[in-house]
Parts: sequence; structure tokens; C-alpha cells
Amino acid sequence: MSHQADLPALVLRRLAGALPLILGVTLISFLLTVHFGPDQTYALIGKNPTAAEVEQLRSELGYDQPFVVRYADYLKRLVTLDLGHAQATGESVRAMLARTIPISVLLVAPGFILGTLLALGLAALAAWHQGGALDRIISAVSVVGMSLSLVVILIGLQAVFGVWLGWFPVRGWAVSGPADYLHHVAVPTMAFVIATLGYNVRFFRAVLAAEMTSEQVRTARAFGVGPLRIMVVHVMGSSLLPIVTRILFSLPLLVISGSLLIESHFGIPGVGRITFAAITSGDQPVLMAVVGLSALLFVLTVTVADLLCRLVDPRVGQR
Amino acid sequence: MSTLALQTGQRIRDRLRHDALGLIALTVVVAYVGIAVGVWLGLWGAEWSALSGPGWASPSAEHWLGTNRLGQDILARALASTATAFEIGVLVAVATTVLGALAGGLAGYAGPGKVDDTLLWLIGTLEAIPFYLLVAALVFALGGHPLAMHLAMIATFWTSTARLVRAETQRIRELPFIEAARVAGLAPRAIVLRHVLPNAAHILLVQGTLVFMAAIKVEVVLSFLGIGVQDSISWGVMIAEGAQDILAGQYWNFAAASLFLFGLVMAANLLADQLQDALDPRSLDSRWQPHG
Amino acid sequence: MRWTLVRWTHAGSRMAEQLLSVRQLIVEARSPHGRSVQLVRGLDLDIEAGEILGLTGESGAGKSLTAQVLMGLTPPGMMVAGDSLIRWRGRELNGLAERQWRKLRGSQFALIPQNPMTALNPTRSIGSQMRYLLKLHRQTTGRMATEAAARALSRLAIPDAGRVLERYPHQLSGGMAQRALIAMAVLCRPKLLIADEVTSALDVTSQAAIVDQLTGVCRESGTALLMITHDLGLVARSCDRAAVMYFGRIVEQGPVDSLFGEPRHPYTAGLLAAIPGRADPSQTRLNSLAGQVPDVDWRPSGCSFAPRCNKAAERCIDREPENIKEDERSYRCFHPLLRSP
Repeated sequence: MSHQADLPALVLRRLAGALPLILGVTLISFLLTVHFGPDQTYALIGKNPTAAEVEQLRSELGYDQPFVVRYADYLKRLVTLDLGHAQATGESVRAMLARTIPISVLLVAPGFILGTLLALGLAALAAWHQGGALDRIISAVSVVGMSLSLVVILIGLQAVFGVWLGWFPVRGWAVSGPADYLHHVAVPTMAFVIATLGYNVRFFRAVLAAEMTSEQVRTARAFGVGPLRIMVVHVMGSSLLPIVTRILFSLPLLVISGSLLIESHFGIPGVGRITFAAITSGDQPVLMAVVGLSALLFVLTVTVADLLCRLVDPRVGQR
Repeated sequence: MSTLALQTGQRIRDRLRHDALGLIALTVVVAYVGIAVGVWLGLWGAEWSALSGPGWASPSAEHWLGTNRLGQDILARALASTATAFEIGVLVAVATTVLGALAGGLAGYAGPGKVDDTLLWLIGTLEAIPFYLLVAALVFALGGHPLAMHLAMIATFWTSTARLVRAETQRIRELPFIEAARVAGLAPRAIVLRHVLPNAAHILLVQGTLVFMAAIKVEVVLSFLGIGVQDSISWGVMIAEGAQDILAGQYWNFAAASLFLFGLVMAANLLADQLQDALDPRSLDSRWQPHG
Repeated sequence: MRWTLVRWTHAGSRMAEQLLSVRQLIVEARSPHGRSVQLVRGLDLDIEAGEILGLTGESGAGKSLTAQVLMGLTPPGMMVAGDSLIRWRGRELNGLAERQWRKLRGSQFALIPQNPMTALNPTRSIGSQMRYLLKLHRQTTGRMATEAAARALSRLAIPDAGRVLERYPHQLSGGMAQRALIAMAVLCRPKLLIADEVTSALDVTSQAAIVDQLTGVCRESGTALLMITHDLGLVARSCDRAAVMYFGRIVEQGPVDSLFGEPRHPYTAGLLAAIPGRADPSQTRLNSLAGQVPDVDWRPSGCSFAPRCNKAAERCIDREPENIKEDERSYRCFHPLLRSP
């Protein structure tokens, strides 16, 4: 119907509306990693430099330029994807990202998908039996899940499945086929599911339980509609906005934040590990690329969430 | 103080009196406070860094939870870490609450306009950067400052408090008694401080509890990554040690720190639930999710 | 205004099939202090095929709860007493499994909810929601279903029914949404409709039109209607019989003409006197309905209306009045108002 007609215009408007956000994120990343970041001159220069050499390098690094010029230059390189080379290894940042991002995606995807589906299912069960025994059990388990630290879960699972039972590898990422992949991804997946389940079940349950008491659900029941259809079409269908928003919003944060911890602990060569290494060594080109791109990913996600909801729920954006 | 704010204490007492779970949670939190106070007074846990026995000793009368690789007493370390946890949790929670309440109260009271837009922009920006990336970058930008970790957490946690206070302030400022205060000639700052914020006290209390808990959880992650607590002891430091011990088949260090951590976080979680139910039972549970 | 109106009388009312017969319906809930309280306290009600029955009383009397219970939708935390009888065309429904209830709802009887703007699924078009009901209860799909849905809308004087089918709920006005809901309710040709305060969310101008369309559809198709409303004017205008509910029980019922013309129960009389413009200033005491519906925790030993009744005597407080039958009507009162000579 009519609400799909002006889609391209809508996408453009949403992205334009996100410009202040992109500027803000890049400004912060610029401030943290470049402006207030460590002076790289002496790390890069050879032994016993002459004053002229120092001056030349500082000029190459742009240290003699005013703030605005350096920030503009930073933005230009980000937009044109001219990401430069890592200071530590000299490898092109673009190549590094191309190598590491797929690994991180493979690492977190199963846990993310499984965790979300499981949380939705449990939340639906709890919301359907609102106030009943099952609801209370699920809620209690959720609180326990919320109280466990991801670090503890990771190490605990590693101890049980890696050290004690010896079923799964303790570290590394020697993946050359589907079997290896499942072998390596099992413990991180379990950790992700356990760590996110409590929070997600609680959130989804609250959203679904509120919709369960709505008049449209009561009407549907009064017309003889069955439980499965009520839950999927009436309850989840009408709560799509908060559900989709939450799922999509957790995505970019999960890829970086989650993989940062898991990859550095398990020694998996994903984007989280190179990010962490870049933070600890102050590798500006890598940090700049990761922060900038994750902000862009975030904005893109927000836009996608918005469009998705507009397509599915006719109420959104019509008032 | 208005009557609304005074009711807060009464409602919490009623709730806890009628709910066993809430009472247990409160008792556990008080017990942890007792442990921390004991550490500050030097009653126990002072010997956490002393090499008091052989490495990886099993639990005994002398070392109730055994020793770590270096021969340090695990129980003393876990107890001393309780004090560290409270130092971090309370500092971050108080600073976050003050900062969030002021920023949110100001923007909410000012209403739509430049102040509000700027605050929302700042919040949106901070929340668009992956959490650990921002915290880790902040820790490094602050370059080895002893409070670097605390400041990084405060800089990222205040946004959710500010968001909640802003929404609540917008609601409260439309209430008749604020209008009456305005007519009576009270300055906006006085209205916010004396009338608006006390009525948002329930939000600050619940959110403060959650931030306290989040700070303790995030400390563990940061210390585990090696950018958290330095030159001191914390559950995060113990867990990082314990992760190495486990590869050698030694579980006590990891188990002790994990259980101490879990007990406090779980009790804080339950307490936050009870506070929420007692003070704002209708609110949808879209609770802020700490990272870690 | 005169209360005797010329109306449709459904043919041979004595011979009509008994659709629903409720005896001693008791609905209990747990109060916040852990005690159980009765919200419906022994309700008797009969509905015959094709008749239009008004169920009225102040808010809090238990009207809407009764409607929900009759649909098998007892709210969580409440329960129907095991020995209550809810007989649908000779079949006992109390204790029926949810699966069996589902087959009856929407096909044998249907509920029209209070607030039309929130009662429809906001994410599906009207047509899609109607077609699903036809598929569910009548195994009708495709063009047949679309045509049946359009016909149902047309019966409620909705112009351009085909286009309304494509609309989403938020694109409809309140009155149009309420008509669509009525159309959905009659879609699968149920024997009984329960309309729960269907006009309360609408503006005054469209209330009368919608009630006339609702009763019109019911009379045309011979569908019985239980109209729950606190609006006595509406009952007088559209119903064959009326039942007055007070504190979880029916205190008086009978044909609308005689009930409203000569109320027996002081409560009925009080409700009638409270209608603005109807009270005769020279005779009726204006405070005839002072006081409030009592708290649910209260357990009266006698007549529950006694504390508000200006005719209450000692026995009204001690003993509960029996249900007194008089021709086609009945009432529960020791001191009925009898026709003044």
C-alpha cells in the first residue's frame, strides 16, 4: 500500500537525520585516539633522530596542523575508506578488517541467533502463563542468568568442556571445515546464550506480557482464535517494534564488545582481538577504523530497524 | 521534601516486610557490607598479598579456601576484594547518579530546545560506540590515572540514568504542584532540586543499585582484560589468575572469586527488583542492561 | 419520555429455544489480603433464541465479568465455582476444556468488546482478520470468504465495504471500527452476541445509530443479543427484556415495559430516578440513590442493597430476600414498590 511508495526518500531522510550522530561518534573517537592519544613520534622514528627528521615526521603525522584540519582529514579518510596501515605490523587496515570480521561474525552468529530464539520462546511461554508457576520459574532462572558474569561463564565452560571433559578446544581458531567450526564455536556459543538469555527473556517477557493483556488479544480469544496464532500474529506481531529494535541494536555492540572479550581470552584472530591489541598499543589507524565503522554500522542498524518496522507494522510512521 | 518522597521509605519497608526474597537479598547485601567494613577496619583480609603458605595448597584449617599459585591465602584475597568491589561500586554509582540526575533533570525541566537536544545528542553518541571499546579507549586515554577505570565507567553509565530522569522530569513538571511552585516565584533550579528530583528518587534508587552492580561486573571484565584494577586485589584480578590456574587443574581461586561475585550481584539484582516493584510497580520491565 | 414503545416482539416467545441458562453463577477472586471474595454471587439468567436482553446496573456490579465468564474467558486469578451451571443449548459449559470453548467462541456466540480502537489487531487489515475467522470457524476461504466479509460489513450500513476490507484499524474512525467489530462478530452467524458497553467509547451522535444497526442485524438474522450497558435509556430503546444487576447478583428482571414502567425493586426505581430529565421533581426524592456500590470485601448477611435503601427494615439486614416471581418478571426484595393506586 501507500506506506511503501516513498521508501528511497525515507532511507535518505533517516540517514541524513543520523548525521549529527555520526559526527558525534567520529569526534569522540578522534578525541580519544588522536587528539588526546599518545604522541607517536618517538615510537615510529629511528634511533638518534635529528631535529629535522622529527619535524618531518610530525608534519607527516599532521601534528603541526590545527584541530579542525586534522579532524576534517580524519573524516575524509573514514568516508573514502582510506584507512591506512597498522602501525604495529604495517599491514593495510582494510585487509586486516577483511580478514578478521568474517571470523568474528562466524564466532558470534550462532550464539546470537540461538540466544535470541531461545529467549523469545521462553519469554512467550512465561508471558502466556503470566503469574503462573512456569512464569515464576522462568523469571527466577532469568535473574540467576543476569547475575552471572560473562567472564565467569566463559572460564567455567572452558574448565568443564575444555579442561575437564576435553570435548572442545581451549584456545585458538584452527578452522578449515564445518566440523572444526562447530568444534571451536561450541563454547563461545554456549557462553553467549547463557550471558544474554536472562536479560533478553526479561525484556521480551515484559513486552509480550503487556501485549497479552491488551484488548485486541482478549477480542481475538473471544472470537475463538487459538493460542499459537494469538502469540505469533497478535502479540509478537504488535510488539515487533521493541523486539526488532532490541535485537538489531544488540548486534553491533555484541560483535565488538562480546568478541573483544571472547577473542582475547580464547586467542581467536577476530576483529575484537585486533581492536584490543590496538587499544593497548595505541595503534591509531586500526582504532580509528574500528570505532568509525562500528558507529556507521550502528546508524545503519537503526535505519534498518526503523524501515523493517515500517514495512511490517502499518501503524509506525503514520500519525 | 514532599510527601511523595517520604512515602518511598515507607513503601520499601512494607515491601520488604511482606516479601521473604527481598529480605534475604537485603540481608545478603548487608553481610557483604559487613565484610567490606571489616576489611577497612583491618579485622580481616589485610594479609591478602602475604605469601603465607605453599603454592596451590588445598583447603585446611589455616587456609580455609586454600592458596593460589604463589601461596597467598585465597579467602583473605576474596574478602579484601569485597572492599575493592564496594569502593568501585559505590563511587561509580554515586557519581553516575549525581551526574545523570543533574543532566537529566536540567534537560527534562528545560523542555524541548537546545539544552535538551544537546543532551540527547551526547547520549546517543556515547551509546552508539560499543561499550567495551569506549571504556577501554577511555582507560587508555586517561593514561594510567588511578581512577581511569572508574571515570570510564562513569562516563558511559550516566547516560541511562540521565535518560530516565529526563523522562520522569518531563512528566513531573506538568504536575499541578510544580505549577504552584512556579507561580509562588521559586527559581527553576530550586524547583528542580527541591521538588522534581526528590520525586524522581525511586528511579535514582533503583538505577543506582543497578549501576552499583554493573560497575562490579564490568570491573571483573576489565581486570580480566588487564586494564582494570592495578596494584590491588579484586575479584576480577582473582578470576584472571584463576583462569590460568584452571588450565593446571586448580579450581579454588576461580571458584571463590566467582561465588563471592555471584552472591553480591544476585542479591543486588533481587533488591533492585524489589525496589522497582515497591516503588513503581506499573513500569514496564525494560531495565537497563549492564554489560558483562 | 414514555417507556412503552412499539417494538418487534420476537415471535412466540414462549416457544423459542432456550439458548443460555445460567444458575447460581458464583465467581470468586483472591483479594489482596489473601481472602477469597465473591464478585458474582449466585447469578441466574436465561436467554432465549432471538431475544434482546439488557443487563444493566452501576459500574462494579459485575456485568462485564459475567460477560467474560459466559465466554469462557474468566480473568486470571478468578475462578468459577464448581457447582455453578452455565448451560448452552442443553450442554453444560462450566468446566469445559479450553479447546472445546474455542470451538464455540466466535462461531456459536461472540463478544463485541468495549473499545473498538484497541480491540482490533493493529497489524492486519480488517479483511485479513475477517477472512481468518471464516477459515477458522466455517472453513470458508478465498473469494467466498472475501465476499462473505464484504456482505457482513454491508449489513451494518458500511458503504464501500470492499475498500474498508483493505483498511487497517488505525485508518478507521471509532464508529467505523465498532461496526467492523460487530460485522466480525456476526460473520460466522453465531446464535448469541454479547455486547459489552459497545457505545461507551463512541461520541453521543453515533451511539444511537450503532445500537440501532446492531439490534437491526440481530433481529434480521434472529440472533439473540445480551446487551451490557449502564445506560438505561439504551435498554429501554432497544431491548425486549432487562435484568438489573447489583453487587454480583440480579435483583430484578422482566420485560422492559413493565420493569421500567413499574419497577418493583427500590434499586431499579433509584436507577430510573437518577436519569436526568426523567425524575419527576414533585415526587421523586433526588437522593434516592445515595451511597456507593459496596467494597468487594464486604459480606452482607441480608440484602446487599439494604445500606443504601430507604425502605430497609431489620429483616432486610438479617435475611436475604428470595427471588419472587410475578408473571414474566421477578425481583429480590422484601418491600417491593407496588403500583400506586
